[in-house]
Amino acid sequence: MDMLTLSHVSKAFGEHTVIDDLSFSVAEHSVFGFIGRNGAGKTTTINMILGLLRQDAGEIWVNQEPVHYGQTTTNRYVGYLPDVPEFYDFMTPKEYLSLCGDITGMQKAQKNNRITELLELVGLDGINKHIHGFSRGMKQRLGIAQALLNQPLLLICDEPTSALDPLGRKEFLDILSDARQYTTIIFSTHILSDVERICDEIALLNNGKIALCGTLDEIKGLHQGSCLEIVFDSDRDAAAFQGIFPATKQLSDVRLSFDKTTKTDMLHMMQYLAEHHIQIQRMELLEATLEELFMEVISE
Amino acid sequence: MKQLTTFLRKELLYTIRTGRLLILTILFILFGVMSPAIAKLTPWLMEMMSDSLAETGIMITEMEVNALTSWTQFYKNIPIALIVFILMFSNIMTQEYQRGTLILIVTKGMKHSAIVIAKGIVLCFLWTAGYWLAFAITYWYNAYFWNNSIASNIGFSAASFYLLGLWLLSLILLFSVVFTSYSNVLLASGGCFLTVYLLGLFPKLENYLPVKLLQCTNLLFEGSSRPDYYYAVGITLVLCVVNITASILAFNRRTRLKAASQ
Repeated sequence: MDMLTLSHVSKAFGEHTVIDDLSFSVAEHSVFGFIGRNGAGKTTTINMILGLLRQDAGEIWVNQEPVHYGQTTTNRYVGYLPDVPEFYDFMTPKEYLSLCGDITGMQKAQKNNRITELLELVGLDGINKHIHGFSRGMKQRLGIAQALLNQPLLLICDEPTSALDPLGRKEFLDILSDARQYTTIIFSTHILSDVERICDEIALLNNGKIALCGTLDEIKGLHQGSCLEIVFDSDRDAAAFQGIFPATKQLSDVRLSFDKTTKTDMLHMMQYLAEHHIQIQRMELLEATLEELFMEVISE
Repeated sequence: MKQLTTFLRKELLYTIRTGRLLILTILFILFGVMSPAIAKLTPWLMEMMSDSLAETGIMITEMEVNALTSWTQFYKNIPIALIVFILMFSNIMTQEYQRGTLILIVTKGMKHSAIVIAKGIVLCFLWTAGYWLAFAITYWYNAYFWNNSIASNIGFSAASFYLLGLWLLSLILLFSVVFTSYSNVLLASGGCFLTVYLLGLFPKLENYLPVKLLQCTNLLFEGSSRPDYYYAVGITLVLCVVNITASILAFNRRTRLKAASQ
């Protein structure tokens, strides 16, 4: 079952079209990486899913229910974490979570248990100072706690890691990995290593459209061929080899690089090297990284 | 209903923890004490200065001070308390937009109307408590030093100014829903007051406008009649209801809950 579906959604601010006929769906219990550079329209899309912005065209469904602009009832299924969550900083984390629990109408006992559980999960248990004195990382952890409070079916995180240091990011992604057991996660980001770490599926947003969409393996598979790098023993061998197999790039006297090389190409080269007794130090088939794919798509 | 009481609790916690409640209490106690104190001290001050004034040719004769002097002073001072109150609370909504604190609350399913109503109740509660505290203190001192019976319509005139305060606060609430910045809220509310004040200069309109309530001091003296104020009171009450209703309706339509976000 799809937890979120967007169908032909468009949005423009004045003359500027931000989202152009966007359609995609997110399957239940998956971690969906929503990637794109700054200004690609990720936050706009998220705001429409939350009913904070009205789309000009198209429809959005959360858990099979349509999203209405304004005070949408579908938000009861949603946990939301913005890039920089802002809290009432005169409260303690426990008080803030209690406020959120009361707004969503949780029962007192259930609410208290859940708050204890979540504060422990995010490592804020026993912290009784006001949110005013919290670091960015602590605020982000409280942010994830409030987003998970009412066990949402859909957790939307809008660039949650961009303001965090590497340790904070790791901790955050670990929490998110745990949460995937009971919720579907949409994770918008421009940090591709985060996507590779936790996402099952990704959609790359470019110029308001989905430029790429699928599982991580599928997307990497789309990139025809990989880059092969050979390091020779001597520059003479390298030059001779270049005569047969013209390299795309000569990285140094002894180091050649061949773009868009398939495994068959590689075998041909290995056969030639063996037959001609050419000694090499290293031969490596480099897989396309998400970053290369990203650059390729957005430069088109 | 639960959302409303939850948000009310949060608002009260805010006024307590940020020290606003303490400042307000001190402010209104000060304004309550000030009027009888000034009235009490005036003859003594005059006596102190009489010698130097005599040199300039001004003769001080025996001054009579009574509860009326103190009440007149009260209505001279209390507008300052109202202005301070307005300056302190004009950001009641705008600071939420500026910081984006409402985003998480609203995406949790909080009803927009509950937010506005809670803010309105808090404004009304603090103004009511503060104003009547100042009034009660002045009343008590006046009764202690002099005799309140010399002034007529004490309750009615006090309620008139209180109502004027409520009208201004309802304007603050309305413009807080419309505008995102503190200065715009103040400018719009100030502009509104000024317009009504200027309209009040036309004798034909005078009795039908909230600014008429500023003249409530006159009611303390013999000769003024209460019915002159009835229209102004009624119209101000209606305006308060209109402003609050408009605030709720406007906020229900408002979706830009964070300043400068797309």
